[in-house]
Amino acid sequence: MSNIFPKSANALPLQIVIFLLVLGGVAAAGITYYATPAYLRVGYQPVQPVPFDHSLHAGQLGMDCRYCHAAVEKSGTSSLPAAQTCMNCHSIIKPASPLLEVVRESFKTGDPVPWVKIHQTPDYVYFNHSVHVNRGVSCVECHGKVNEMTTVYHAKPHSMSWCLDCHRNPAQRIRNPEDVFNLDSLTLAEQGKLEKAKGFVHDWKLNPPQSCSGCHR
Amino acid sequence: MKRKFDHSAPASSGLTGPKYWRSLDELADTPGFREHLAREFPEGASSMEGVDRRQFMRLMAASFALGGLGLAGCRRPESHILPYGKSVEYTVPGLPLYFATAMPLRKSAIPLLAETHQGRPTKLEGNPTYAPHGGASSLLAQASVLDLYDPERATAHSKAGATLSNGQVYDILAGINKTYAGNGEGLAFLADESASPTRARLLAKLKATFPRAIWAEYEPVQDEPPVAAAQAAFGKNVKPVYRFAKAKRIVSLDADFFHAEAGALYYAREFAKGRRVTKKEDEMNRLYVAESGFSLTGSMADHRLRIASNHMLALAAALANKVLATETYAPLTQGLDFPNKNQWVEKCAEDLLEHRGESLVVAGAHQPVQVHVLAYAINAKLGNIGKTIDFVAVDAPSASTITALATAIKGGSVKTLIVLGGNPAYNTPADLDFGALLKSVPEVIRYGYYNDETSALAGTHIAATHYLESWGDARTVDGTIVPVQPMILPLFNGLTEVELLARLAGEENPDAYAQVFTTIGRLTSGDTKKAFEKFLHDGLLEGSAYPVADVALGNPAFDFSKVPAAAALSKDNLEVRFATDHKMDDGRFANNGWLQECPDPMTKIAWDNAILVSPRLAKELGIVPHGSLLQVARKEEAEFVQGKENAYVYDLTINGRTVRGPVHIQPGLSNYTVVLPLGYGRKISGHIGTGTGFDAYAVRTSDGMGFATGAKLTPTGLRTKLANTQEHWSMEGRDIVREANYDEFKDNPKFVAGIGMESHSPAVLGADKGKPLAFVASTTPRGNSLYETPNFDGVHQWGMSIDLNTCIGCNACIIACQAENNIPIVGKDQVLRGREMQWIRLDRYYSDGQADAAAFGAEGNKILPEDPQVSMQPMTCQHCELAPCETVCPVNATVHDEEGINVMAYNRCIGTRYCANNCPYKVRRFNFFDFNKRATDALYMGPLGHQSDMPELIKLVKNPDVTVRMRGVMEKCTYCVQRVQQAKIAQKRSAGASGNVEIPDGTVKTACQQVCPVEAIVFGNVKDEASAVSRAKAQDRDYAVLGYLNIRPRTTYLGKLRNPNPHMPDYAALPLSRVEYNQKNGHTEHGAAPGGHESGQHEAEHGGQG
Repeated sequence: MSNIFPKSANALPLQIVIFLLVLGGVAAAGITYYATPAYLRVGYQPVQPVPFDHSLHAGQLGMDCRYCHAAVEKSGTSSLPAAQTCMNCHSIIKPASPLLEVVRESFKTGDPVPWVKIHQTPDYVYFNHSVHVNRGVSCVECHGKVNEMTTVYHAKPHSMSWCLDCHRNPAQRIRNPEDVFNLDSLTLAEQGKLEKAKGFVHDWKLNPPQSCSGCHR
Repeated sequence: MKRKFDHSAPASSGLTGPKYWRSLDELADTPGFREHLAREFPEGASSMEGVDRRQFMRLMAASFALGGLGLAGCRRPESHILPYGKSVEYTVPGLPLYFATAMPLRKSAIPLLAETHQGRPTKLEGNPTYAPHGGASSLLAQASVLDLYDPERATAHSKAGATLSNGQVYDILAGINKTYAGNGEGLAFLADESASPTRARLLAKLKATFPRAIWAEYEPVQDEPPVAAAQAAFGKNVKPVYRFAKAKRIVSLDADFFHAEAGALYYAREFAKGRRVTKKEDEMNRLYVAESGFSLTGSMADHRLRIASNHMLALAAALANKVLATETYAPLTQGLDFPNKNQWVEKCAEDLLEHRGESLVVAGAHQPVQVHVLAYAINAKLGNIGKTIDFVAVDAPSASTITALATAIKGGSVKTLIVLGGNPAYNTPADLDFGALLKSVPEVIRYGYYNDETSALAGTHIAATHYLESWGDARTVDGTIVPVQPMILPLFNGLTEVELLARLAGEENPDAYAQVFTTIGRLTSGDTKKAFEKFLHDGLLEGSAYPVADVALGNPAFDFSKVPAAAALSKDNLEVRFATDHKMDDGRFANNGWLQECPDPMTKIAWDNAILVSPRLAKELGIVPHGSLLQVARKEEAEFVQGKENAYVYDLTINGRTVRGPVHIQPGLSNYTVVLPLGYGRKISGHIGTGTGFDAYAVRTSDGMGFATGAKLTPTGLRTKLANTQEHWSMEGRDIVREANYDEFKDNPKFVAGIGMESHSPAVLGADKGKPLAFVASTTPRGNSLYETPNFDGVHQWGMSIDLNTCIGCNACIIACQAENNIPIVGKDQVLRGREMQWIRLDRYYSDGQADAAAFGAEGNKILPEDPQVSMQPMTCQHCELAPCETVCPVNATVHDEEGINVMAYNRCIGTRYCANNCPYKVRRFNFFDFNKRATDALYMGPLGHQSDMPELIKLVKNPDVTVRMRGVMEKCTYCVQRVQQAKIAQKRSAGASGNVEIPDGTVKTACQQVCPVEAIVFGNVKDEASAVSRAKAQDRDYAVLGYLNIRPRTTYLGKLRNPNPHMPDYAALPLSRVEYNQKNGHTEHGAAPGGHESGQHEAEHGGQG
């Protein structure tokens, strides 16, 4: 009786195991890399109803972030400007531009301009802008260099581990309080003033929360 | 890695994001929304109707194909940020605004602050500017915000089934004005009571326009003493306002001044001031209560006398005889009979006479005029007037009664009847048969918030606005004028009462705001606009309280000849007491799910009322239940089948009228009084209110509005299940609530230390025992545990103290917590399964001193008590430092933060429910269903069987700062962590370089603390030794429930005190729960001696065991 399985089949179990291990490894690597906010979210750049150009307004014209995002120092949300805020200037500058038709309509009727949300935390996350910008965390840390973006995109991963990186070691990422809204400024650490940053963390008692209740309520 | 998504420009139809009030009325008119409303509670499972299998397969195949081709499932769902077109004054997105308003209820409003989020009221708090309430509010006020968003409120004006526009309604009102102007013959109004100055002003105008019209007012429950009593006693139109804080001895004659009387909130708060004891030198008031039912006031009594309401006059007369040292009222005392009657009355009177000017006798509003006159006479004799009781001048009642109106209707003289609020078809006396009368009136116009029993009989229904949508004004119990400010435009184009009356009075295009402005303008001097703005800002008009009148008792020998003698009651001649319900009030809150699901504070029954009978009557009826477990010789109040109260259904017949309802045994009732809570059995309400309980109004007649005699109970042989949330009534001699008499407390302020297992077990804090709380709370007590507890190194360490001595068990904290924390309701069926979601449970224990130590493992109450003492205890997550729930969670979903809060990370929870199993306090709640998304009658439907989302209108009431939990997630009290975090953020924001990140004491108030009328709950930083909570916990009466488990709860309780009079016949030297405790633990030798169980003795006795 001849052998049903050739001799080479003896290696099959091992080969299967190795294959599965490799497959598992590839899958794990794939998921670790691709199924993360760093891959899935970064780069999200939807088309907005009004082609608002941050690089023009915040970059070239040097407008302060807070002119439009007025609630950022007081409230949990940074707030988008009412159409009225746009019209403060655009009733004079380019008052007839077809690109601004949506804004003019909103100002007239009160119906909101449907801006597409880019940075979206899950419903169970309660991020608070005010406590960050008042305590040395610049806009640029989470949103990237918006002053250089023609159309805003998702620049940082906004994953929980990414939040915790900073919450565990705030000294690395903080700026002088007066530099918070200067998107071209460097962190104290980047300026080589890590000691100053550590002193700042100590004196201001920064102590960012690392337990669940800090963000989840 | 940059990818650009080519989203098509957003279509306008895709932009139906939350637009809130600005467009809800538009939204209400869209077909989609109409369908939404209609479908919210689908009649049956219509899941796959109209879709056959083929079509289903085709659809599924198509969607799979699409999914494969376009990878639509991988696309990020697009969401929008919708800013205002024009900025709104004061509004900062993400920050709430607070406005002063008030909830009108009969003649006494509750001043409130409404929290609004971008124009949407979500939570109501008491207005702290109004000092008598001190920022507290009631459970009705807390729940009223839910009514605003009730999808089943009247959403349109209608006439004979056809919808009317606002313009058509204006025409109808103008037509009435035109028809009847100058005369008013044939026109009648039936309104509910109100103390609104604007309404009074418009009413005067109406009377001038229609001089011969009938203006009748009717309230189904009486909550103020009749003005006629004050007229008889003093010859003046005055009403009493009690000053409980100054009263050291209080006698209540059937008065439930914690709930059923007008001003209950103020009275409860004042009472607590006289009750609160922080050190042994503090004085404590003494409360005598005579009552037929078992009210919250009765549960706080130091001496409680169970007598029929019918006998209250005899008791008042007996007391008056003793206090006034006369025999004038002796004839009235006939028929009064209870054990040790003479001694009880005499010693009570002596106690009162020893406290002249510091005592107070209060009679229940439902009691007849004579009882009130006697109470006034006693108070006058005791010199209490002007001290503990003020009489304030009020307007003489000028409105007609419902009886007079009924007579007019029967006479055929009423052609047009305008019903303003109320619900006369449901709650008027049965002998009037008002429903039939309504039908006989040619034109009935009904102005109401719901389409209810009355609307069904009225030709025209005008939709009313909620008070949070209306301009108006009101008066508090002491007469202070408070504004009713709208928080939101009318969601469904309702009409405000002010506008309605103004239109009827002939004004064209009246503006409710302008009307109120005019009223207030006339009451203030100087710059009216400024005064009005201050009025709105403060939420009250200073100095507008009713003036205190000088009164002198005229002729105490009031004519009592017409009074019937106290009836002899028996099983065949029962007394019926109609009680204002704790939650439904008179029935107006029937469609409020929060209130329906809130257990009654005494019976603990949710979603139903019951015929309450005394244990003796139950025995005579043959329905005394057996013990629920064979091996335990304890008795339950009811028979339970699989944990569900299986109540006998009885017919109650009185004067030929019958009502059918389940019977529940209520210890502590007068033997032959049955209590019928009003407000249930609604026939036309919403899905929540219709069909809960039975309608006690069906047997209530105009000659017996408060109570009546001559009733009989007959069995029907039926059984029904009641959703009872506390199956067992006894502590069985355990140390859950620790009590002492005031005298014992003075000798031994640390009495709590001598009770409980801690004195038997090793010291729970080990080496830390005796160290200050601030030290203990910030030290990580790791012991030999494998579980790593985080370091408690936060700036604050949160803790709570609950004073059981002042807690009156009013349930307001339960509803406040529900409103603040987005807690869903689950429906009767789920409550029957024990799945209620309220984070706070208010435990009510009875004790009768009869625990039988010998029976079955040294526990057991063999009989149902007739005269129990009650101990109330709010129970919620105790935030144990060594929390048993945390060690068993497989996914670390419940862990501690560094400030000592036991937190729940909902998104981590996988729903094993191990934590709930391991919680010794049983305070964790599990979302068995998507309670937030689904209606209570759609829980068991399949995934396609119900709406996939919460109804838009319900979404509006949710607190945006708290996660709405989904199915399969555990939840529990969080110490209002959202409020804590917001306060911390605000502090950090302003701290800057100062580094002062510690929140000042008193900044954070939990929702339960904020609402508590008696300030029993204190929350704060226990690391700060000067904080209010640290001071409360430093008191001698501080103890931890189940402290011997060494789990170190952050919530601790202050022991309860009772202040009985040693001369009284029913004096008990020890609280009855202590007697049971001693019996169970073999300390009976201390039980007999007054104040006998001292901790020194106790510890000496057991010193060797530890």
